[in-house]
Amino acid sequence: MEVFIQQLTNGLAVGGIYALIALGYTMVYGILKLINFAHGELFALGAYLGFTLLVSVGLTGYFGTGAAILITVVMVMGLSALAGYLLERVAYRPLRKSDRLSAVVSALGASIFFQNAIMLIWDARYRAYPADLLPNVTLSFAGQDIPLIRVVVLATSVVIMLLLYFFINRTRMGMAIRASAIDQGAAKLMGIDVRRVIAIVFLIGPALGGLAGVMVGVYYGQINFNMGQLYGLKAFTAAIIGGIGNIHGAMIGGLLLGLVEAFGAAYISLAWRDAITFCVLIVILVVRPTGILRERVAEKL
Amino acid sequence: MGKFALMAACFGLFAVSAVAGESVIIGVMGPVTGPWASEGEDMVNVVNIMAKEINAAGGINGRTIQIEVGDDAGDPRTAALAAQRLISSEVIAVVGTYGSSICEAAQGIYDDEGVLQIATGSTSIRLSEQGYPLFFRTCPRDDEQGIVMAGKVADMGHKRIAILHDNTSYAKGLADESRGNFEKLGLDIVFFDAVTPGDRDFTTTLVKMRTAEPDIVVFTAYYPEAAMILRQKKDMRWDIPMIGGDATNNSVLVEIAGVEAANGYYFISPPGPMDLTGPAAVKLLDEYRARHNAVPSSVWAMMAGDAFGVIVEALKHIEGEPTSESIAGYLHNELENYPGFTGTISFNEKGDRIGDVYRLYQVNDKGEFVLVQ
Repeated sequence: MEVFIQQLTNGLAVGGIYALIALGYTMVYGILKLINFAHGELFALGAYLGFTLLVSVGLTGYFGTGAAILITVVMVMGLSALAGYLLERVAYRPLRKSDRLSAVVSALGASIFFQNAIMLIWDARYRAYPADLLPNVTLSFAGQDIPLIRVVVLATSVVIMLLLYFFINRTRMGMAIRASAIDQGAAKLMGIDVRRVIAIVFLIGPALGGLAGVMVGVYYGQINFNMGQLYGLKAFTAAIIGGIGNIHGAMIGGLLLGLVEAFGAAYISLAWRDAITFCVLIVILVVRPTGILRERVAEKL
Repeated sequence: MGKFALMAACFGLFAVSAVAGESVIIGVMGPVTGPWASEGEDMVNVVNIMAKEINAAGGINGRTIQIEVGDDAGDPRTAALAAQRLISSEVIAVVGTYGSSICEAAQGIYDDEGVLQIATGSTSIRLSEQGYPLFFRTCPRDDEQGIVMAGKVADMGHKRIAILHDNTSYAKGLADESRGNFEKLGLDIVFFDAVTPGDRDFTTTLVKMRTAEPDIVVFTAYYPEAAMILRQKKDMRWDIPMIGGDATNNSVLVEIAGVEAANGYYFISPPGPMDLTGPAAVKLLDEYRARHNAVPSSVWAMMAGDAFGVIVEALKHIEGEPTSESIAGYLHNELENYPGFTGTISFNEKGDRIGDVYRLYQVNDKGEFVLVQ
């Protein structure tokens, strides 16, 4: 029972982080049919920006810990969004009319650029978030001690995902995003500024990725310049499991991937964890090639 | 231009052979450039300081020592070239090198030409298993660490052992080696598994490990994962001692884990230069500090000093013209408990160093690494 409860909460917390990153992949794919390979690096960039604000600038010294983290999160989300916007402007928009392969190559190039830039700016060694950032409080749940930070990570990602859900489904801009995802040409004819929609998607995705970066930094305390690769791959997998292009799918896919990892490692084998995870991906793709919720559920609307 | 170069080369050759009459040429092969450049630089600096001192005191039995540096750049192909260059400079013995695969590339070349080599940082087991009669090393072998690990853990009185590695050849090798030695000592291995390098979340591992109820966690992989495990172990409020290998000897470990979580963590490692308290080591480090305004960053440069030291010791005892063979004969058969910087040195028939180099360290409540024994 101890293993089960611990793995359940841990899997959900990790899954929430995957889901936040996966949303960036899936939103871009939904509209541009482009895998934004640089998205994992934007996540890493967020982690490093958070590191700079919290440690180098020392925001915790000016404000209380809670306020400092909040300010950091807001600033990192803003800066990551800016980086995402610039990425779209420089690497993708000029290639909008060329074939999809060029854009994919450009995405790979951008990914390498970001990773190396992070390495050159912040150094190749491991960096550490302050270890005493959050008090080491545990909650008691079903007779088990659950670290508070784990609950905070999960709660944050759930709240953010709910906000995004309402934004996409209940606002005019959300409707424009959904419309552009279904048919860009028709959306344009209906008076939707598709270029603006794309820019907004490239602001939201990286902002969520940057937030996930800070969360990983605060949760685990350790960041390194190539962390974007591993998390990027996992989140991309989560997006595919849920059905790429489908926003709800990315949320479910992320949480599911976190749980599969946690339980696979606990009940089958630790060393085989990643192998198990990707076997699950293969099985899901064989049974449902378009992912659990199908690609782009919006078409049903 | 070509003629000039040829003439210069001839002249250079004459100059070398003219000096060779009264001096002994000893090569230092190390990664002076490339990714391990700081290691190579430290090696050369240490050997140069020692050679200057000997020459200032009139040399050994009237012979002065000349140092020839061969840069292997931390690359096997460059190492082969460096070895050939040193051989053509008529070195009698070579100190170095650092990396195991680099050493392996040069080993056969030295053996073919009958040149003695004393490796200083190459810990891979198979280097001394190839039967080269002129190969020695002052650094320990990889399997030595497993023996020491098991011994120290048994000394602490632990009975139920959890072993964790990360499937890299270094960590898996050390884990297997330690497991064998634990079993020999009659301790129970209650948990043996691997984590994924680069991973951040070890909660699963820890929860699973806790159900096996070990007394101590033996971690054989690298410092970033060790730090995360310490931190998450503390978050789980699981108070169990943990011990690691020399790949966790890095101060970033404390930075990542936080002082509170790292406090009490043990690791075994060859001693750092600052923990070498023998009078010879202290004197050399003072000299080093005076010249270079720093101390060697790791113990491997001190191992190069020890390699040079045993060669000098052999030269002192050899009558007549020294050769690689006569030095090797002395090191194999006569050298016993030579007081080196890093402890006493003797060699077995394979050329491996006898005597324990590893020390037990612990992180104290200020986050400093303290020598326990």
